[in-house]
Amino acid sequence: MGPEELVERIKSLLGDFAKDIKIWKNDYIEVEVDKENIEEVAKRMKEFGFDHVKDLTVVDYMKEGFFRIIYNLGSYDNFELSYYIVGIAYNIPRDKPVTKTLYYIYTSADFQEREAYEAFGITFEGHPDLRPVLLSPPVAELKPLRKDFVVKEDPEIITKKK
Amino acid sequence: MSGIIRTQGAQVGFNDLKLPGMWSRKIGKDLYEIFIGPQHPGSGHMRIVIRIDGDVIVEADPDMGYVHRTMEKLSEVRTWIKGIPLFERMAIHDACNVTLPYVRAVEKLMDIEAPERAKYLRVLLCEINRIAAFLYGFGIFGVFLGHSTMYMWPFGDREVWVELAEWLTGARLTHSYPVFGGVRRDVPAGFTDALRKAIRYMRKRLEDYRKIFVDNPVIRARLEDVGVIPKNLAIELGITGPNLRASGVKYDVRLNHPYEVYDQLDFEIPVFQEGDAYARVWQRVEEIKQSLNILEQVADWLDKHPRTPILHDKFWKTAPPLYKKIFEETGRAKLGAVYAIMKVPAGKAYERAETARGEISYYVESNGGNKPYRIRIHSASARNALVYKYIVPGHRVMDLPAIYGSIDYFPPEADR
Amino acid sequence: MSGILDAIIKIITWPPLWQLVVLGLLVPLGVVIFILWFERKTAARVQRRIGPYHVSPKIAGGLQLIADLMRYMFQEVIIPKTVDKFPFIVAPLAALILSIVPVVAIPFTSIKAYFPIDMSYSLIISLALLTLSPLFIILSGWASNNKFSIIGGMREAYLITAYELVAVLAFLSAGAITGSFNLVDIVEAQSGVKWFIILNPLAFAAAFIGVLLSTSGFPFEIAESEHEVVAGAFTEYSGLVYGMNMGAAYLKRMIFSIMITVVFLGGWQPYTPGEGFIAGYLVPSIVILVKATILMMIFSFFRAVYGRYRLDQALDIAWKILFPLAVLGFGLGLLEAYLGII
Repeated sequence: MGPEELVERIKSLLGDFAKDIKIWKNDYIEVEVDKENIEEVAKRMKEFGFDHVKDLTVVDYMKEGFFRIIYNLGSYDNFELSYYIVGIAYNIPRDKPVTKTLYYIYTSADFQEREAYEAFGITFEGHPDLRPVLLSPPVAELKPLRKDFVVKEDPEIITKKK
Repeated sequence: MSGIIRTQGAQVGFNDLKLPGMWSRKIGKDLYEIFIGPQHPGSGHMRIVIRIDGDVIVEADPDMGYVHRTMEKLSEVRTWIKGIPLFERMAIHDACNVTLPYVRAVEKLMDIEAPERAKYLRVLLCEINRIAAFLYGFGIFGVFLGHSTMYMWPFGDREVWVELAEWLTGARLTHSYPVFGGVRRDVPAGFTDALRKAIRYMRKRLEDYRKIFVDNPVIRARLEDVGVIPKNLAIELGITGPNLRASGVKYDVRLNHPYEVYDQLDFEIPVFQEGDAYARVWQRVEEIKQSLNILEQVADWLDKHPRTPILHDKFWKTAPPLYKKIFEETGRAKLGAVYAIMKVPAGKAYERAETARGEISYYVESNGGNKPYRIRIHSASARNALVYKYIVPGHRVMDLPAIYGSIDYFPPEADR
Repeated sequence: MSGILDAIIKIITWPPLWQLVVLGLLVPLGVVIFILWFERKTAARVQRRIGPYHVSPKIAGGLQLIADLMRYMFQEVIIPKTVDKFPFIVAPLAALILSIVPVVAIPFTSIKAYFPIDMSYSLIISLALLTLSPLFIILSGWASNNKFSIIGGMREAYLITAYELVAVLAFLSAGAITGSFNLVDIVEAQSGVKWFIILNPLAFAAAFIGVLLSTSGFPFEIAESEHEVVAGAFTEYSGLVYGMNMGAAYLKRMIFSIMITVVFLGGWQPYTPGEGFIAGYLVPSIVILVKATILMMIFSFFRAVYGRYRLDQALDIAWKILFPLAVLGFGLGLLEAYLGII
């Protein structure tokens, strides 16, 4: 199954939910959805064969003022699908980082949502156990993976001096 | 919470039971809370908070992060090339496997591909690393079950593979071997013969392991039907690597999403159906056998093909004549200055690889600068950490080391 | 002058003192040190290592054990604030003493003048004394007031219930064969090749595994299992007191080995005690101790071969396999007595 064929199938599966679908480097498919529909989309994707969350990526676009949450889904059971990773992406505003949890659809997202919570301060509503997992609470307060958390030491040697 | 002890506003402990000189906290009727780790001999650099009712664990809460090294954040403030030595600190004895997907993701963004010889060399080191990492896991597993011989033997035999890796790359553990567009060194003269000798030796030793450890009645009693991960649960939790395959799922990144030259090599993916700790031991033994087969094929290929450049032209053409002379004489490819100032075209790439402990994935996003915009790593041990929360409850306290050892959890890799 | 020397020799060789201090404490201590060295060396050989070496390479690192002993002796003894101090200190002492006391009820010769106490019921007395020391291990775990200690102590308690009956029944089967609780009679009955290991292998097997269970030998090293309960009941101990705890386990194993030697391996047979201190007391003691040491060496070799069982599996083995085995051994003893084999 080529990536274009998979995109067609995802399109027919998600219908209007998929706002935009992009293929990156032939094996990574990014599906843009709305925050409101994320649970329905996840349910449909799981039925389709993407049975676990490969990883949950949050990207901070500080200048544009939003977080992009990407659930990268993979498949263990379906050989054809397992070649691809499908990223279900949606944006949430930076000043109100609250979204819904997918814990009850994908158990594999459990610790990853906790990671996103501690590193970006994103609250996943409905997650049963939303605590920091890697960081200690005082460090998690700083929300270290946000772009406005600046690493003090700048190890760069080759930088243009202003 | 009446009995909270506070020092300067920070909550440091509870004193619900009013015991003299010690903190105490009520957690439930007839429950006993034990902290396994991080200074406990049966834990790695992690803590598992278990609550036991009698001898049975009713709740387990893995508390990771004791060796968290902020790799995702650090990578955002360092140039692209510095990511390689940074990320291999996740699993130093599995360095090639854990950095390879990063290198490949950046290569994908730059639309380049390593020369074929470099691909074979990467596979060579990956499999050497894989065997060494399995042996390391076996050693830890052995000592968790009180089997000191199984602790010493694999650690001794691992030395063979570590020395081979040192001969190939110049470093015992953190090799920094794969770089963008190729690898750093070609095989030294006589390497393939030593490799074949090591393969023969390892096959013999696996038989010894079987006799003293895998078929040992005490070990079998400890491992059979312990820590069973059913197939559907393994998929649901996203367990990975040998643990997933021991539960009956035929999934291996080398097969499902072939990278480098794995699609040209002849190997099998062993699968066990039982899903218990004992199946996971056999799974690893079988995987070592498959890795030995792969190494044999790589050695044959390297013998047949003469030395050709091991770096992509994009980087190699800028190399000064002195570097090319050194490469011709010794097989070492010195990295040009172009690596320090390289920029990666904007875009996103997702790349994964099969490490010894399972699948590692990198999401790499570039905005066209000389540093990554965002790198998200999710490593094999981080996926497997869910086992503690969902599989361990219901087992006895003495099963915890058996399960811990059998899923081959490696805290630095999980904490990133 | 010679009178004083004679008096000193007389005091030292006074059977109760001689047996308790020399045969019960000093010689087993020496044997334990040898066994520890042997254990480390054989394990090292199996595991393709050298083992203790750098201290005194000429005698294969033998002095390393002395160095380790010194380390325990001069280490600071830390008594944590939260422990119950009196039992915390007393329990290991009591455990140590109680593990060597049974030796007074074990005959090392057949000559009556060299018995420390009357031997009529020596089998019962020695067994009864041997079963006391684990109680103090539980006590030290309880007094430590540490979660791991308490779990370790509880495990010890579970194991006591499992092995005690097995070991006692297995040893008593010798009484069933001979119709006597006198260990001297039991040894005398094993003259020639009629050792009870041959006549009653079932009871010997039960006793052997029972001893492994009771002294935390592999594969039953459960109560002190490092990877679950740190050091079991001894987690809070340090220095000399910890050394005493560990020493008590080995001393107990040595005393058990002596018991097995006397009951199953023919005691001082094939030697017949003669007249005088040397021929009548010293030589038979050495025969027994050598046999016991060989037994100890077998016990310690298991460390290199086996892992450890889970607690419930060990209890399973004790109740489902060893207990029937010990009962069968007892029955076999009765049958042999009925047929008049002795």
